[in-house]
Amino acid sequence: MIIGNFRIELEPRLSSPKWLYLAVPAGSLVFAFIVGGIFLALTGHSPIGTYGSLISHGYTSSKGITNTLGLATPLICTGLAAAFAFRMNLFNIGEEGQMYLGMIGSAWAGIALAGHLPHVLAVPTVLIIGAATGAFWVLLPAILRAKLGTSEIVSTLLLNYVALNLVNYFIYGSRGFFRDPTTSFPQGRGVEETARFHSFGTSNTYPTVIIAVLLAVALYWFMKRSNFGYETSVFADSPNTARYAGMNATKLTLSVLLFSGALAGLAGAMYVVGPAGKVDPGLLQIGLGYAGIVVAALARYNFVAVVLTAILFAGLRVGGASLQISSNPVPIAIAVVLQGSVLLFALGGEIFRRNRLRIRRVQQVSVAS
Amino acid sequence: MGSHRLGGATLFALSARQVTKRFPGVLANDRVDFDLLPGEVHTLLGENGAGKSTLASVLCGLYKPDEGAVLRNGTQVRLTSPRHGLQNGIAMVHQHFRLVDRFTIAENVVLGHRNLPFRLRANDLEDQVAQVAERFGLPLDPRVTVGELSAGQRQRVEIVKALYQGAEILLLDEPTALLAPPEVEKLFETVRAMTQAGKSVVFVSHKLGEVVDISDRVTVMRDGRVTGSVARGEADTRKLAELMVGRDIDLSPRRSRVAAQETLLQLDKVGLTKDGIERIANISLSVRAGEIVGIAGVSGNGQRELAEIVAGLQAPTSGEILINGARVNGIGTRKVREAGLAYVPEDRLGTGLAPSLSIVDNLVLTRDRGFLVDRKSALVEAEAFIKQLEIKTPHAHTATRKLSGGNSQKVLLAREIFAAGDNSRVLVVCSPTRGLDVGAVEAVHKLLDEARSSGKAVLLISEDLDEVLTLADKVLVLYRGSVVHEVAGHEVDVEAVGLAMAGLS
Repeated sequence: MIIGNFRIELEPRLSSPKWLYLAVPAGSLVFAFIVGGIFLALTGHSPIGTYGSLISHGYTSSKGITNTLGLATPLICTGLAAAFAFRMNLFNIGEEGQMYLGMIGSAWAGIALAGHLPHVLAVPTVLIIGAATGAFWVLLPAILRAKLGTSEIVSTLLLNYVALNLVNYFIYGSRGFFRDPTTSFPQGRGVEETARFHSFGTSNTYPTVIIAVLLAVALYWFMKRSNFGYETSVFADSPNTARYAGMNATKLTLSVLLFSGALAGLAGAMYVVGPAGKVDPGLLQIGLGYAGIVVAALARYNFVAVVLTAILFAGLRVGGASLQISSNPVPIAIAVVLQGSVLLFALGGEIFRRNRLRIRRVQQVSVAS
Repeated sequence: MGSHRLGGATLFALSARQVTKRFPGVLANDRVDFDLLPGEVHTLLGENGAGKSTLASVLCGLYKPDEGAVLRNGTQVRLTSPRHGLQNGIAMVHQHFRLVDRFTIAENVVLGHRNLPFRLRANDLEDQVAQVAERFGLPLDPRVTVGELSAGQRQRVEIVKALYQGAEILLLDEPTALLAPPEVEKLFETVRAMTQAGKSVVFVSHKLGEVVDISDRVTVMRDGRVTGSVARGEADTRKLAELMVGRDIDLSPRRSRVAAQETLLQLDKVGLTKDGIERIANISLSVRAGEIVGIAGVSGNGQRELAEIVAGLQAPTSGEILINGARVNGIGTRKVREAGLAYVPEDRLGTGLAPSLSIVDNLVLTRDRGFLVDRKSALVEAEAFIKQLEIKTPHAHTATRKLSGGNSQKVLLAREIFAAGDNSRVLVVCSPTRGLDVGAVEAVHKLLDEARSSGKAVLLISEDLDEVLTLADKVLVLYRGSVVHEVAGHEVDVEAVGLAMAGLS
């Protein structure tokens, strides 16, 4: 592009300096807040005051941060699920449905099994069964992908709607196993008390947050050091090289997708052993599965970064929701605008990580022949 | 071919004056001067990255120079696009052809031409195209679809296209890379016909081969600069290689110095039929320890299938493959490797190496890794290779795609020759120097020669006939999936091999 005497060009970088990996996301956050601020100003709110209150409600007050961590817990899991699959170029976007199935599976275990189990085993069993049902939900797309090359994007997405209606049917459509028999109000049947964690004090944060964080760190280490992690990175980089080295593509595809489904299922199970204690249609409203994909993308599929991004996002949600009940209520849509802007700017910012902006004076060519 | 003199000054058909072109981190052309006479054949010679393709792109209008000027018939032209170049009579034929497979030759030739009538009459166009083709000795049937043509014929279509659009100056990028020797001869006839009609031809090449022989002048580039410009007969290949590389280069034939021993790789009547088409027909050959058997042939005659069959990536539909006497038909790559095979595929980055992974990670690719990957010993190994083979890289953790072709090939060869260990004694190598510089070619050939001397059985499958003739103790020619010619390395009759490659024996 030429403006006046100057030529503005994007020049590819040969290598990106390390600080840019932090500067670009931080910069996109700032720009997102500026864009959000414009919306706030247009709707008659003070941007600074609103942001101050958003930060306090979302992060800095003790109530705010515990609410945020509580919401972040399942979001970390769905974020890990997406990051895990996307790293191998397997685009599992069915975290939402796999999470619902995790909720159903763990609620079943919490109702039917937990009473027969010793106390210490009850919660782990419920969590594992939730993870297993999440994996089960991605089994069909995984087989289709591994054996026939069917697009997992479409199949996993469509199964989300099946899972959604399954939950609705269990609670609103039938008086079956998952429906609370003691009341005519449609709600889930509670799991055994032994199948639940107690929250920290009176907060909304449960010990599952520790599990989620440990899981992220463990995955980070495992994928960096293990043969499995190595093989997935070769496969993701170049399937032909993997074939050349005799790696089993079918096995890798299946195990990556199933594990991703299990992580999403775990998100649902953590919701059951934590705040819900039953099959709760409330989970259908908050879109933690889809948000997990956004979190993973922003974290550039780095497992440790997923934790931080999930907390950032959960805080925006919690803080955004609180703004609705302030004296000058701010619509929840503002929080959504902020989230969208963060994503947009972060993805757009990639261009500045890969390229360098150059402004040059246009030179007149002189001929000397 | 005479120069046209006007008023005592030579009038060049095309010149570059002090052309400088920068890319991020690279000075691709540094104050380059270049002159082309009318009716001249001029070779622009240089290694990969020497800047010759950049210069050609500047000359044809694809790139704009940062500094300096392009002159056409002595007046400066500011070319803004290849189309603009064409309006000035300058056309470039790229190494990778830009043709539509489903269109006929005539349709491809007129494609992109601006002054076509609204209603196309196929017959008229075909006649016009045939006329142009005939005038320059390019036999083509304009009604044939391009998808059915060989590489040589496609190249002819590209040349006819350029001529049809009125090109006076033709820049040919690596024109002989994909051609069989008889096709190269035909190309040269065309070039002669063009120069007789007063047109000029520039060959852009990194190979000291035939193109240099028919050139009136050779301009050599290195590191973005012109290192010399010599008229025909003024310099031999050795001198040109030195100008290209900046040091003395040894490309003389290398033959086995030890007596070949026991047979390590044997193919017995191997065949492959896929989708009802016979890709490999009844091939029998054996490779003994301490020898290189070379397979020559034009690309697409079954080389890839043959290599994949031996490497265990495809199972043959008939016949037997024996490594160290053990049958390895269709047992899979891992087991074939365990049986003693190392394999350097044609596609370095993308099959042999994982491009985004580091040198270290690429060395562990064919190891038995266990649960946790041992990168410590791989790092030690990588650093030893980097030193020993003079691999140019910032460090052992650099992604292989950031290395030059020669250096990534060294990584791959290091893994397949040395890291594979003594138990691996059969080496299958496919087009190991394709696209590499003269200096890198020398290094790769030296490595293959060392592998042979250390008692490995090497099967060299290469589309580069010179390479096969330089290294092989036995030469086999592959044509349409069959071995049609077989001769000992020191008894090779180049003409007979060339004819066999074209299927004319």
